[in-house]
Amino acid sequence: MFFRNRLLLVISTLVSLLGLTTKPIFSQPTLKIGGIPDQYPEKLNRLYGLLSTELGEALNVSVRYVPVTNYPATVTAFRTGSIDLVWFGGLTGVQARMQRKGARIIAQRDIDAKFHSVFIANKSSNIPVIKNINELNVLKGRRFTFGSESSTSGRLMPQYYIQEAGLKISDFNGGMPGFSGSHDATIALVQSGSFEAGALNEQVWKDNLKTGRINYSRVKSIWRTPPYADYHWLAQPDLDTRFGKGFTKRLQSALLGMNNNSKSQAKILKLFGAKKFIPAKVTQYNEIERIGRQIGKIR
Amino acid sequence: MALQRRMIRLRIATPLLTIIPGLALIPVCIGLIKGIHIGGIYIIFDFIKASISPSLETEVIVNSLKGIQVTISIAILSWLISTIIGVILGFATSNIFWSTFSGVSWIAIILRRLLSILRSIHELVWGLILQSLLGLNPLVAIIAIIIPYSALVSRVISDQLDALNHDALKALRNIGSGPLSALTTATTPQIFPVMTSYGGYRFECALRGATLLGVFGMGGIGTELQLTLQSLQFREMWTSLWILGATMLAAEKSIKYLRLHNHSIKQNKKGINLAYIFIVALLSICLKWILETKSDLFSSINLHQIDLPTIEGLNIALNSLNWLSLINSTLITTFLAAGIAIGTPPLLIMLMPSKRCLEIQSFFWAILRLIPPPLTALLLMMSTSPSIFVAAFALGLHNIGIMGRLLKESVESQKDNIFNAIHTVGAGERVSWLYGRLSAQSSSYLAYSAYRTDVLLRETSVVGVVGGVGLGWQLQESLSSFAWSEVYLIIFVFTILTMLGEAFNEQSRKIWLRSEDKQSSKFSVQT
Repeated sequence: MFFRNRLLLVISTLVSLLGLTTKPIFSQPTLKIGGIPDQYPEKLNRLYGLLSTELGEALNVSVRYVPVTNYPATVTAFRTGSIDLVWFGGLTGVQARMQRKGARIIAQRDIDAKFHSVFIANKSSNIPVIKNINELNVLKGRRFTFGSESSTSGRLMPQYYIQEAGLKISDFNGGMPGFSGSHDATIALVQSGSFEAGALNEQVWKDNLKTGRINYSRVKSIWRTPPYADYHWLAQPDLDTRFGKGFTKRLQSALLGMNNNSKSQAKILKLFGAKKFIPAKVTQYNEIERIGRQIGKIR
Repeated sequence: MALQRRMIRLRIATPLLTIIPGLALIPVCIGLIKGIHIGGIYIIFDFIKASISPSLETEVIVNSLKGIQVTISIAILSWLISTIIGVILGFATSNIFWSTFSGVSWIAIILRRLLSILRSIHELVWGLILQSLLGLNPLVAIIAIIIPYSALVSRVISDQLDALNHDALKALRNIGSGPLSALTTATTPQIFPVMTSYGGYRFECALRGATLLGVFGMGGIGTELQLTLQSLQFREMWTSLWILGATMLAAEKSIKYLRLHNHSIKQNKKGINLAYIFIVALLSICLKWILETKSDLFSSINLHQIDLPTIEGLNIALNSLNWLSLINSTLITTFLAAGIAIGTPPLLIMLMPSKRCLEIQSFFWAILRLIPPPLTALLLMMSTSPSIFVAAFALGLHNIGIMGRLLKESVESQKDNIFNAIHTVGAGERVSWLYGRLSAQSSSYLAYSAYRTDVLLRETSVVGVVGGVGLGWQLQESLSSFAWSEVYLIIFVFTILTMLGEAFNEQSRKIWLRSEDKQSSKFSVQT
């Protein structure tokens, strides 16, 4: 009995090792798309799933969604060429362009040229509505959470405005802010009372308002930041050599051409919280880069 | 005379010494309670309530099962490869190997020092670095575990080799055997039992390590746990936790059966057979995963360069961070966590020594071992202000689970004669327990505690990342800012700290083990 079992073990181990030597199957190049994980994974799966199908049909290539679980890993994945087309935030987009020379900004949403963050508060915290930036002082000594540490609308810009108001992030309760990881998580944590206040992406906030996931009796918005440029599509510099001449252009027109007349495209745009995609310029993100350097997220 | 008296007093006090570190609970609890708030109490309550009503939706269960498949596969592959590499390196870095082959052993010492650098860096830190080198690749998690684990295994093997009785080897050499054949013939039979029990322990560690790497986005059930916790979906989280728990429990039991079987201790046949079935099941799960992901695993293993440090960059990094306070908070976290982890199990066993209480305790310890410390820290931070105490408490709780099981097993395996003797002369249950049971174990327990403190120092990087504490937190900040000079410096400082910690640990272990050589064997094997 003892030896038979041992033998079984050895055999299964050998079979496992055999699996290692099988050669990978080479196939047509696949366009790998992805994005920073700023919302619930289920929503991202649905959104990028639909987009993959749509782009696959429009460009006649196979498209695959590569999920990533944190912001810096998305930048790294772009640098190492693990993903070809990425939906980046303002800050992560700048970080990615600096690490991958020649990367091309393809498009942004209509809402991204003038994007906003909102500050929200738990109602029982009695934090008043803020009318101008200097009143951000009321957050002193409160339990406050950002989203991901690399988020533009969930950390970089909120922190920038907080500092403009003369507050330091060490002024929060506990000597530092929380980092919830995503915009949805920030809502959950402020609504539950874990944190008294937080800052997040306005589009995600509005989306949650529309879908009825916000409990008005427990959480309210207290301030809307001034506008800044945020999310954008960034593509690898070498798509034309890998997918054929003019591919980047075709990709760009596929995205820019999405509209609400097509049922499937309307669905995608709705999930993105936009009416359409528009062209974007590098110069739009110079301000983000400057603030990124000031706060130390860009070196 | 005076010296002798002091030594006697020390010996009597050892069982109490195991409890004293528990004093760390006082400042930690005060710190936690100070920051606690109503909203958070509800969250903790919700979390506990969800444990009895995990989500049973098909989609959730399928996701969890997929997650555990990845975690198991990462654990098995990394364990298998690190054991093989570790054994080879273990032979190659032992004094006996070098003195058999070349007559000098100083090369072994240098090699061992080099390997201790690999060992001193936690698998999570390796994972974060490798992610930058390899991009999105399932191999990241596997290699991240292989590097430190190979070095750990090799150290145990070389230590054991050098501690062996070398008469057989000398005899073989004297009758003219070649060095390699003599070495393997003389040592393998003696090393094999150590390897089987240590190998089992390392597999448990690999399973925990793979789960932890998942929490930081490197795939598997850890990722599920992190995502569900982050969005407060506690019922979904418990689906994954129970599945992970069942796997862990089955692994721990199987390893225990196999270990006892190898040491020819009588076991029921059923247990052994179940253990074998479990192992084969794990291997087939792993095999299935390899076949499913082989294109990802082997398609593009190319290294992507990261910036090498420049003197100027390092200089800026050196001046831009507050190193003293980073190191300080790292050390405080370590000591507080160690105090909790070391002091609590003996304290609880002493307060509640009845058989039923012990069963309840070991159930809770199993749960504590189950939840990765960064998740505990995240949960705690939803209910209390972020602070050094949260990090220390989360780390301490997880390690109570490990220390508690160890203490229970060793106490149970010893004979009851001292306990009975003290008990029959009229001492109370607790006092008899303290001097009858704990006392015999306390020296080796403290020796193991010294080792555990060393592990804890490495693990602070893990809770630090989420708890906002010390070098771990700064590492995460620097990595997400792609500030490589800072990353290099932080890892350098961490390496120095853990190596100093290890030297300190070895010294204190020697003190605790001086008179307890026989007791120590089962503990020291776990290092």
